[in-house]
Amino acid sequence: MTRRRAAALAALLTVAALLGLAAAAGAATAPVTAQSALGVTGNDACFHCHGQQDMQNRTIDVGGEQQDIFVDRALYDASRHGGLACTSCHIGFKPGLHGADETQAWLITAKLTACDNCHADVFAMYRGSFHGNLVFGESSGKAPVCADCHVAHNITPPGSAAFRASIDSLCARCHPDQLKTYLDSYHGKAFFLGDAKTAVCTDCHGGHKILPPSNPESMVSKHNLVATCAQCHPGANENFAGFMVHVDPQSPRSSFAVWTFYALYIMLIAVVFTFGFVHTALYIYRGIKDGLYRRNRHG
Amino acid sequence: MASTGETVTAESAPQTVRTRIEYRRFNVFHRWMHFLVFVSFTVLVFTGMPLKYKDTEWARWFMDLFGGVTAAGVYHRIAALVTVFYWTLEFTFMVVMVLRSRGKLLRSPGSLMPGKKDLEDMIGMFAWFFGKGPKPQFDRYTYWEKFDYMSLMAGTVIIGMTGFMMWFPLWFTKVLPGIFLNIALVIHSNEALLAMGVIFIFVHFFSAHARPESFPLDKVIFTGSVPVDHYKAERPLEFARRVREGTLDEVLVEKRLTWRIYAADVLWWTITAFAGFCAILMTAFIIWSVFD
Repeated sequence: MTRRRAAALAALLTVAALLGLAAAAGAATAPVTAQSALGVTGNDACFHCHGQQDMQNRTIDVGGEQQDIFVDRALYDASRHGGLACTSCHIGFKPGLHGADETQAWLITAKLTACDNCHADVFAMYRGSFHGNLVFGESSGKAPVCADCHVAHNITPPGSAAFRASIDSLCARCHPDQLKTYLDSYHGKAFFLGDAKTAVCTDCHGGHKILPPSNPESMVSKHNLVATCAQCHPGANENFAGFMVHVDPQSPRSSFAVWTFYALYIMLIAVVFTFGFVHTALYIYRGIKDGLYRRNRHG
Repeated sequence: MASTGETVTAESAPQTVRTRIEYRRFNVFHRWMHFLVFVSFTVLVFTGMPLKYKDTEWARWFMDLFGGVTAAGVYHRIAALVTVFYWTLEFTFMVVMVLRSRGKLLRSPGSLMPGKKDLEDMIGMFAWFFGKGPKPQFDRYTYWEKFDYMSLMAGTVIIGMTGFMMWFPLWFTKVLPGIFLNIALVIHSNEALLAMGVIFIFVHFFSAHARPESFPLDKVIFTGSVPVDHYKAERPLEFARRVREGTLDEVLVEKRLTWRIYAADVLWWTITAFAGFCAILMTAFIIWSVFD
């Protein structure tokens, strides 16, 4: 596995830096800069500690959430952002050994606002979205930031098939009920069984500028729904857009009409199968009892 | 052709070429119809059920087998067109036959139309199951065969309509509201399970394979005819009716027992064994997913 290979690589790096590390550990009370102690600069300095294998299971508390402090260097270097310096995103980093308190500020910067520096257009869309509003607006709440969907150190190209195939699970971390109803819909069944072309969450709801249906600008608002469907189904009308993706046939509260047909069929199936089972079982019983299976063989 | 009485004894008469007088239950049209139902139904079940039970492991096995969900969808639609073809042909055939007979066919005891006798037969069968009476005597079709046929013909309309709604949603929503597409999926999916249960377990396969009278295989739908004695025992009322009406000659055929007959037997056994295997497999998979 790549993870294991990367771990081996990290171990090698550790061996190479053993001397310097011993020095750093010995001088824990008097912080020294990474550069001076280890004789290395740039990303190498960061990975001297954060690339170590024994960092893998260590987390720190950032704003109540456990944050990994291990970064898999092989995956990072191979990622889209591999060429960037760690400090490009971890803005405000001061060299030296650092505690959890000072880390918090640049972790949040790195997960969110640092993206604005290069992806201003996308970031502006996100900022105006429902999720962005929860983060930046007055109404505070838990919402995903950039790095929650675009994994920080192992960023997957958003246009890739791998990223597309992971979208459902990204959204499901906060919207599990919507995932369930989606996966039971036409698109969801096909997606689940490997259809790469079928619609996923972001095709209808948007990626960065997700807005609730009540907002007229939303892709799934009454005003835009027909156009949203028409992206893939040219000629879609209002009736077509009236199809409900997120409906649970097993719940009368979800849609009474759909549930009614579901309930009727379950009853019909139960009656037919029960009758069929009883009739079949009795027929076989009588056949065995009367020895009909032996007598009535024919060519 | 010989008269009725002679024909029945002809089976045991010495012959130079080995032949056997058999009772022709199904003609070439019936047999072809069944073959089309058989093939299309199997394809539809195996390409459709993995979608209904998408969370199961076997759903992925079948999708891999068919080359992905998109390819499976193509096979499903081709089989759907075969279904439309056989249904239309069968329905037209039935209407023409009924019209030609000026409705007499519907009232005939050999008709597929359910009647009072079917209810009596069913009660009689339950009495027989419990050892409380003799086994009822049947005419051309038993009540479970009528149910089998009717449920297939009616079920095909329901499952076909809902299937086409999902195939051509843009066209159907020109008139129908979008919720019909939601309802179509629920109906299509559950009607499929119902049809599969009826065909693969309780009615059709039981009647063809597991019923004491047909165990282990009733291949008449493939061969068309059965030995006269057997048919006489199976459907005494039809036999007696034909004797009474003098129409027995119409359905008696002389079967030449050449190597082809035996080769064909091997073929029917292979096909039926395959179908039986498929049915047991899918049934087991669905039971697995229900209790998983």
